[in-house]
Amino acid sequence: MPRNAATREFEHTGDVGIEVVAATREELFAEAIAALGRIMYDADRVEDRERRKLTVFAATDADLMHDALARALNVFLIDAFVWRDANVIAASGGIEAELIGELFDRSRHQLHEELKAVTYHRLAVERTPAGWRAVVIFDA
Amino acid sequence: MELKQIDEFLWEIPRTGGMRVPGRIYASKRIIDDIRDDPCLEQVANVAHLPGIAGYSLAMPDIHWGYGFPIGGVAATDAEEGVISPGGVGYDINCGVRLLRSNLTYSAIAKRAEALADALFAAIPAGVGSEGAIPALDTTEMRRLARDGADWALRQGYATRADLDHTEENGRLAMADPDAISAEAYARGRRQLGTLGSGNHFLELGRVDQIFLPAEAERLGLGLDTVTVIIHSGSRGLGHQTCDDYLRTIGKAMERYAIKLPDRQLACAPILSPEGQAYLGAMAAAANFAWCNRQMMTHLTRRAFMETLGISERALGMTLVYDVCHNIAKFEDHIVAGRRRRLCVHRKGATRAFAAGHPALPDAVRAIGQPVLIPGDMGRYSYVLIGAAGAMRETFGSTCHGAGRVMSRARAKKEARGRDLIAELRAAGVTIRYQGRATLAEEMPAAYKDVADVVAVMEGAGVSRRVARLKPFAVIKG
Repeated sequence: MPRNAATREFEHTGDVGIEVVAATREELFAEAIAALGRIMYDADRVEDRERRKLTVFAATDADLMHDALARALNVFLIDAFVWRDANVIAASGGIEAELIGELFDRSRHQLHEELKAVTYHRLAVERTPAGWRAVVIFDA
Repeated sequence: MELKQIDEFLWEIPRTGGMRVPGRIYASKRIIDDIRDDPCLEQVANVAHLPGIAGYSLAMPDIHWGYGFPIGGVAATDAEEGVISPGGVGYDINCGVRLLRSNLTYSAIAKRAEALADALFAAIPAGVGSEGAIPALDTTEMRRLARDGADWALRQGYATRADLDHTEENGRLAMADPDAISAEAYARGRRQLGTLGSGNHFLELGRVDQIFLPAEAERLGLGLDTVTVIIHSGSRGLGHQTCDDYLRTIGKAMERYAIKLPDRQLACAPILSPEGQAYLGAMAAAANFAWCNRQMMTHLTRRAFMETLGISERALGMTLVYDVCHNIAKFEDHIVAGRRRRLCVHRKGATRAFAAGHPALPDAVRAIGQPVLIPGDMGRYSYVLIGAAGAMRETFGSTCHGAGRVMSRARAKKEARGRDLIAELRAAGVTIRYQGRATLAEEMPAAYKDVADVVAVMEGAGVSRRVARLKPFAVIKG
């Protein structure tokens, strides 16, 4: 189902910042996880062959965003799994995310930017009149 | 942000609100004008909120917007009553620079520059997710490496005793605790030993093209036209994961210690708390990994030179001038307001610059002061400095670490559109090998300040002195 969400990269001197807006909280998390993948590699070339599930709990939505993105980052960095998209559903005290993709294949997948960590600097998740908004800066 | 000029090279942010000390920025008028509206000044003020901070929250002239601390930030906290902040060290724990010198002159090997660039590019994995310089290490071996640092590389035959003698802390922080490193951090690092990585990391072949202090340059083995190698890299994924792990645990512990700060990325815990001690053990282990990483690349570099030029190790004579950390926290003694104090000096994009005679310096350089290695951008030049007396009086023995960015990565990519950066570098006498075109654009020379302006501030302030300038002729980028 098409997602009612968008991501904008903003200028940060040494690193990479994104602002994500979405109609719903679940879409916000799904779009942020999908955006993380798009920054790191050409997600359009990733095929839907396998699913990876992440269950993340945290005390606040900002912590949840940090931890969900950090977990997804390690799915790429440690397990070499790349995703073309993500689905997210709310769980009690957290979220369940499903990454849709396949194992990284250097012959088919093109890498873009190396992101190394999800920072807490200016990290924000908030409700807005139009829906939801998040700001995340990645260490690149 | 209110800024008060103290002298030609020093500016002060007066203490306001929750700041425990004033902020001080070393900069020329031109540099300060460029950053007057930048978030990095607010970050200098934020750092001044850290409990136990001594003297000033400092920033060097290569200051730019980081996360939590500014890049180029220095903060010294009391070793007993102060805090340790993982954000004050940064994600790339013990990111640093080492300089090798050789018996070769550029004029003798200029025709082999392309071949050397090819050989080094093949020998040293670089770029996004680079790995595989040596077979992946198992967890037992990773733990030994994290405990022993460059001693591990020496035992494995990848280092000489002289290499360790010319490395800050001899390439090993004894407080390393391999148990404080998470399984995820080991998993991220186990295939990355001896790899350059991406972003601003590089390996650069250069030649000495200017000498400012002849006796000191001679002591460091740097004559005009000497071929040099700079290696800039850090603790790779292991360090990043370690920082992330402890930002989370220390961030949660702050409430227990009633610490409130204006930026979560400044998360900190009392040095003597269980969380603080655990982080210090982990930080030291990650720092040890970084020293091994740069040492492995040193080994691969020497081998590539010998094979490409068909010369012996003795003829090559490639020795380590020095290896410095620029993302680290160290326990050091400094005089503050006339009193000797034990401090935890956080350097986030800043380099230790001890003056001549400091007992922590190795015999070979104690008489002249600590060598400081300041890379510029890949098209212009880099500098070798030595620490001066002003550093001990004013900056907790610290100086700058590089040129400092002036352009965001996004803007650099925009500016690079339609330009042939490879041809521009070739015209400047630099051949380049790279993995990612985006990285090349982000790292183009115009994205950085002129490092000559940065080191001039530090020299003008009496913090460090220029020994020699190095001109690049080949660069390997991720």
